[in-house]
Amino acid sequence: MDLIYYAVNIAFFKVLFLHTELIGGWSSEQMMVFVGSYLLVDAVNMTVFSTNMWWLPFYINRGELDYYLTRPISPLFFLSLREFAANSFVNLLVALGIFIHAIAVYSGPWEFGHLVGLVLLLVNGVLIFYCIQMLMIIPVFWTQSARGFVDLFYTLGIAMERPDRIYRGWLRVFFTVIMPFALIASYPARIFLEGFTPEVLFHLTAVSAGLWIIMLGLWRLGLRNYASASS
Amino acid sequence: MTWWRFLAAAELRKILAFRADFWVTFIGQALVQLLIARALWQSIFAANETGVMNGFTLQTMTLYYLIVPIGQKILTGENVGFLSREIYDGTFSRYLIYPLSFFQYKATTYLTHSAFYGIQLVLIFSVYNLLTGTTGFTTLVPGILLFLVAAFAYMSIAMIVELLALWADNIWSLMVLVRFFCLFFGGGYVPLTFFPETVQRALVYTPFPYLVSLPVRTTMGLAQTHEIVRGSLVLLLWALLFHLGAQLIWTRGQYKYTGVGI
Repeated sequence: MDLIYYAVNIAFFKVLFLHTELIGGWSSEQMMVFVGSYLLVDAVNMTVFSTNMWWLPFYINRGELDYYLTRPISPLFFLSLREFAANSFVNLLVALGIFIHAIAVYSGPWEFGHLVGLVLLLVNGVLIFYCIQMLMIIPVFWTQSARGFVDLFYTLGIAMERPDRIYRGWLRVFFTVIMPFALIASYPARIFLEGFTPEVLFHLTAVSAGLWIIMLGLWRLGLRNYASASS
Repeated sequence: MTWWRFLAAAELRKILAFRADFWVTFIGQALVQLLIARALWQSIFAANETGVMNGFTLQTMTLYYLIVPIGQKILTGENVGFLSREIYDGTFSRYLIYPLSFFQYKATTYLTHSAFYGIQLVLIFSVYNLLTGTTGFTTLVPGILLFLVAAFAYMSIAMIVELLALWADNIWSLMVLVRFFCLFFGGGYVPLTFFPETVQRALVYTPFPYLVSLPVRTTMGLAQTHEIVRGSLVLLLWALLFHLGAQLIWTRGQYKYTGVGI
């Protein structure tokens, strides 16, 4: 299924580039580096976090979180990484292949340091993706059903699949600071394609750290509100 | 109260059970998809320094992407797994004691979801119209009707795939694949006029353009009358064909059902 998702995403931009030279300031070749980047982030998330995130609302609703709270390990760590989706690992390899291919055929100038920066920032992108996903699941402690928020997360996820320069005004603030989907793959791709800038690095660090702190704070607040009994 | 009205009322109560979910889904999803699509197309229009691309202005493109996400919900009605889940956990047996066939039951619940999202479309379209005053309401009725016929056709396609659960252990991936195909080749991601000529010509012989593009363009008032009439007939034909396919698979597959689940 993920392979079709990859194909549709690539086809989407291929169709658009039949009618334009640039999207968000990037050419078709540059866009493929960006597409490869977000497909890789998505594949890592599907392999490492996705299954665990799927079950979390059920554990909270059924009162099954007790089992994890009594363990001598951080419940958040355990619940987030408990299951590894081996079947998605194959898709991860395909996504990695698309990413490597996009880098290999990219004819513009780039440096090895920028590639290392891209990879490191994509790891940070995975963590941002995880944090936002958790922020959409945590309300289940209060609302009992997370479906609306989880659906909204997947809808907002489209923002990750577009270059950040298309966003202007308050929409830009929203997707680069409040719900920083644009920092997941677009900023890292910019580092690779356009080189390091202190502003971008500072922005990435500040927003990532802030998001992590907010997520942990809300998780703790949610646990305090957890009534144990199923609802 | 007739059985289908009773069933539809029960389904509506289920949809509205979690109000927070409902409002987040209704406002959030439609608005987010619209804003992201508009930002993308604004950038493309600006890069090309043009006001019209393949028959779309930025304003009509905005309306297109306002209708598409809700249209997608009308089309897909209930969630993936609306039949297969019951086959897998054995609860499919309950239809044996229901005073109506499972086809009638499922079609009613599915189309209740579709009709409900149809009302959402009317609301959003009306708000857009009041704010911009750019389109009339006359195209809304044929548009919604076409969406409902498309929903019936898509439901029949979904039933065919979901009923494969009587043979296969996992049909979820296949169902998502069908959804991706219908949306992409139906013009849900990019309007079909942006596809290469050869692809557009080939797609006419598939049900995809009639599932998404035609109802959206009809609602927007972009489709010509003869196009709507011809498209409606083709869509009805596809719907009938898929429905017969689903019936056939059910006739064969029911003997495979053990009632135990997996």
